[in-house]
Amino acid sequence: MIKVVDLKKNYGRFEALKSISFEVREGSVFGFIGRNGAGKTTTMNILTGLIGFDSGKIFIRGMDFKEHRQELINHIGYLPEIPAFYDYMNAYEYLDLIGNLSGYDKNKKGKRIDELLDIVKLKKNARRRIGGYSKGMKQRMGLAAAIMDRPEILFLDEPSSALDPEGRLEMLELIGGLKDERITIFLSTHILNDAERVCDTICILDEGRILLTESLSELYKKHIQLILDIEFEADPENEADSLKMLHWVKDVKIRGKRASVEVNNIDIAKKEIFKELSKSDNSIIGYQIRKMNLEDIFIGMVNKNADI
Amino acid sequence: MRTFNAYFKKEILEAIRTNKYLILFVGTIFWALLDPLLLKLLPILLKSSLPVDMSSLLLDFTRDSAFQNFMGDFFEIGTLFFAFTLMGLLANEITFKKLVLPYTSGAGSAGMVLAKYFHYGVTLSIFIILSFLTNYFYVDKLFAGGILSIGIVIKSALLYMLYYCVLLAILLFLSSLFKRSLIAGIMIIIFGYTMSVFNQLPGIRPYLPNYLLYKAADIRNVFNNSLIPTTIISLGLIIIFIFLTIRRMKKIDIA
Repeated sequence: MIKVVDLKKNYGRFEALKSISFEVREGSVFGFIGRNGAGKTTTMNILTGLIGFDSGKIFIRGMDFKEHRQELINHIGYLPEIPAFYDYMNAYEYLDLIGNLSGYDKNKKGKRIDELLDIVKLKKNARRRIGGYSKGMKQRMGLAAAIMDRPEILFLDEPSSALDPEGRLEMLELIGGLKDERITIFLSTHILNDAERVCDTICILDEGRILLTESLSELYKKHIQLILDIEFEADPENEADSLKMLHWVKDVKIRGKRASVEVNNIDIAKKEIFKELSKSDNSIIGYQIRKMNLEDIFIGMVNKNADI
Repeated sequence: MRTFNAYFKKEILEAIRTNKYLILFVGTIFWALLDPLLLKLLPILLKSSLPVDMSSLLLDFTRDSAFQNFMGDFFEIGTLFFAFTLMGLLANEITFKKLVLPYTSGAGSAGMVLAKYFHYGVTLSIFIILSFLTNYFYVDKLFAGGILSIGIVIKSALLYMLYYCVLLAILLFLSSLFKRSLIAGIMIIIFGYTMSVFNQLPGIRPYLPNYLLYKAADIRNVFNNSLIPTTIISLGLIIIFIFLTIRRMKKIDIA
């Protein structure tokens, strides 16, 4: 559905995108993850035709984006991170404007607006000025505007990052609903839990470079590793150093009083770890074996990139 | 065409909700009403504090000079209202990223720019003609003498309409250039006022849009052949600046 080849974008001397390439399958949810400033929004703005790019090729539905921009825009919906509206309008008026711009049939427009307001739960506030909406309401309003014309591809830029837990959950439910409608979703986020919940494919972007593009299931298969999370009474700096010396330990990450131990062989680890830690005075107050999650993979990848 | 229609409707709603019509009304029609009244009352108010020879000068207004006085004031004050009300037409949309959702919904730059231009071009033209007719009504009631007729007033108003349509095209372009709308506003005011200086130079003035104002005030001979180059140049400027604005809007980064 989307094919990006060697895409480059510079802001003056700063290279925002350093020749990135990836493909997005039709009907999939493509998770574009990265830290703030990694180049996610720049990529999205390019793919939605809002900003230009320096070199590379973009194909959407098999067509060259540069040559067929206006035609392809009609198949795209975009929810920016902070959607801006005409605040003096109410939800109904704004969707009416978007409907008119999309060339919506006059008779069907009203019905579609009602349907959308229902989906994004704004029906009660449809006649209130958008300027008075909360962040979550604005985000849902933006989503309604983005899907007004039933796009084939939907770009969502950090749709839940500014929302409270309840708003986040609502947004994820809405995205899940869109996924069921077979809309191709390009989701940019730095909230890895969200990506893990709704995405089929994960693409990790860091400092303008793609570090990995993989289906979530493949990613887990490749990186399936067990991690021992051990919580200590005091900071485990010394314990981590001694664990790192062992041949069956791959890496140890410390977060406060917790050490996450990545191991090469879980059977040896289970037997040996307590023997090793019993040499220390630092008491263990908690212990858990878990699978590596997207956050672990992401941090591993990004740290590796920083070392290069 | 669908962008033009959608944005024309949007501009009307915006002008109502953000009081732009009201502000332009105060800057044009309200002033047309106030100007002759002030002119009539001023000599009475100042009579005691002015020397006899000066006060006789203030009392000597005819219908013609009262109308000419209004046009001068309209240009000075109307331009301020015009500039500060409309300076954000594109700058605010770009700066506050309000075009992101419309653009990704299929809005085109040409339709949007033309809708904004035609909406405010028509609005200004209506306000100018109403303002001039309002002024004529009061001038005719409060002053005597002169050759002023409704035909002359309409001719002068037409020249003012064309002038403000030129300014609007330039302002729209400036508004697309600067993220801070105030810069566009100040630049158009400076442009308008400094161009008037060239009306003192007979050789150059027919080739500049401010000659339209000069001829509007020449109520004994408003329309003559000297306006042909001015009209052609003014229309040319409108086309050029609208074209430049559309080109600029197609090239700039919206997000």
